[in-house]
Amino acid sequence: MTSPHALSVAMLLADARLPSGGHAHSASLEPALLGGMPTGAVPAWLVGRATTVSLVEAGTAVVTARLFAAASEGPLTGASAGASDGAQVADPFDSFGLADVVGAWAARTPAPALRDAARLLGRGYLRLARTLWPDAPAVRALVAHDAVHGPLPRAIVLGAVAAATGLPAADTVRLTVYDDAQTAASALLKLEPLDPVTPARWVLEACAAAEQHVLRVAACTTPEEIPASGSPQTEGWAQAHALLSQRLFRA
Amino acid sequence: MPDSALDPVSASVSAPLSGEGRAPARALRLGVAGPVGVGKSSLIATICRALGAELRIGVITNDIYTDEDARFLRSAGVLEPERIRAVETGACPHTAIRDDVTANLLATEDLERDFDPLDLVIIESGGDNLTATFSPALVDAQIFVLDVAGGGDVARKGGPGIGRADLLVVNKTDLAPHVGVDVAQMVADASAARENRAVVALSRSDDASVAELRAWVLGVLTSFRAGAHVAQDPGPMAPHFHADEDGGYVHSHDDDGRAHDHAHAH
Repeated sequence: MTSPHALSVAMLLADARLPSGGHAHSASLEPALLGGMPTGAVPAWLVGRATTVSLVEAGTAVVTARLFAAASEGPLTGASAGASDGAQVADPFDSFGLADVVGAWAARTPAPALRDAARLLGRGYLRLARTLWPDAPAVRALVAHDAVHGPLPRAIVLGAVAAATGLPAADTVRLTVYDDAQTAASALLKLEPLDPVTPARWVLEACAAAEQHVLRVAACTTPEEIPASGSPQTEGWAQAHALLSQRLFRA
Repeated sequence: MPDSALDPVSASVSAPLSGEGRAPARALRLGVAGPVGVGKSSLIATICRALGAELRIGVITNDIYTDEDARFLRSAGVLEPERIRAVETGACPHTAIRDDVTANLLATEDLERDFDPLDLVIIESGGDNLTATFSPALVDAQIFVLDVAGGGDVARKGGPGIGRADLLVVNKTDLAPHVGVDVAQMVADASAARENRAVVALSRSDDASVAELRAWVLGVLTSFRAGAHVAQDPGPMAPHFHADEDGGYVHSHDDDGRAHDHAHAH
């Protein structure tokens, strides 16, 4: 069977119609607007995300993909071969370091509300991934991990999908940046009156602002190298938003 | 296709289990859809009141503005508050029950896990329009709700939910004299539009009608547990208009029975 081009996979993952639960999320936009950020600040805010929190997510995905790529030449192959014949799945994660990547991501995402939302998105992504790539060792490994240790954040699942589909690291970074900006842009139209074409331009501006960071983030190989560019105000808004009873979006 | 009983990947997927001859291992998932204000939350409260003593029930609500319906149901005192959960739909309640059911499926799985075993999980759609119906990927059976105050002619107008939901409820029949609606005629119109699929004319203050609703739910549950129930898709949206540079065209999504995907702005 022939495989789709990695670019086709990237386009599928970036499509807002992808049934993985993303439509109920605003990429922190609703929390920001309810927290008092004016609509006029959205373009600058999108650039800010593209060059801070999105790079944390992207770096997490890239390092995860590298782990799986390295493991496919090492111990993980044996573990996943065990899974394919229906025998019990070994837990290879202690040895191959997934827990360290999750820990590095969590340390860079201090707000529990954002970690919860990312894990919810990760579950949706994994549900899709295990249907689309059921035999990929990286996907099987995450399904087994999820069953034992609980949900993984979306960036980790994206990394496994990148490993499963051959998505290049630089494109994984661009996909992460684009998806975040486009999610917020789509949510904006539900939250503020606006010409729908306007935020499309802001999405491209955010992607352009991230471009100078793409190769650096794409080169990350260890958890320590994942960018630690936080956004404390976003974290605060997310925590306040999680307590509201009137909201359109999960986070 | 690997044998799901042996395959750790497939086995952890919560696939729809209803199907001919296969006894399900989880709760019956029952959707409740219908336009805004027809009494969906109230109907769910009625089901909980009628069956709460004999069935273990959980409820998922899909509000437009989050948890209003969940709070209504919790305050109704018909279930433990923890068994009622709200899911956000990103201002798109239609999407959440049809095009992308992920959020509802995850919430349903969580509820089933946290209160295992449950007999029945009721999923309330955010009030949408006459075209919104549940995907069989999310629910095993669905109720479409109308009310007499919406007008006696609505049932006759049809649509996928009115025509092909497992049950159509014509709600608030006690209001009929005040809004000039002939309930018998409305039910007759509905039955005709549904080719005699089940219709219940309901008022929560009319015990006989509540008993009828209760019996219907139990009947579906019995059939589901016996592995005899097959989830039905009420079908795609009604024929509708697409604007394009040539002036637009009307099409139907069930032409020739082909799968037909395209983007809709919602």
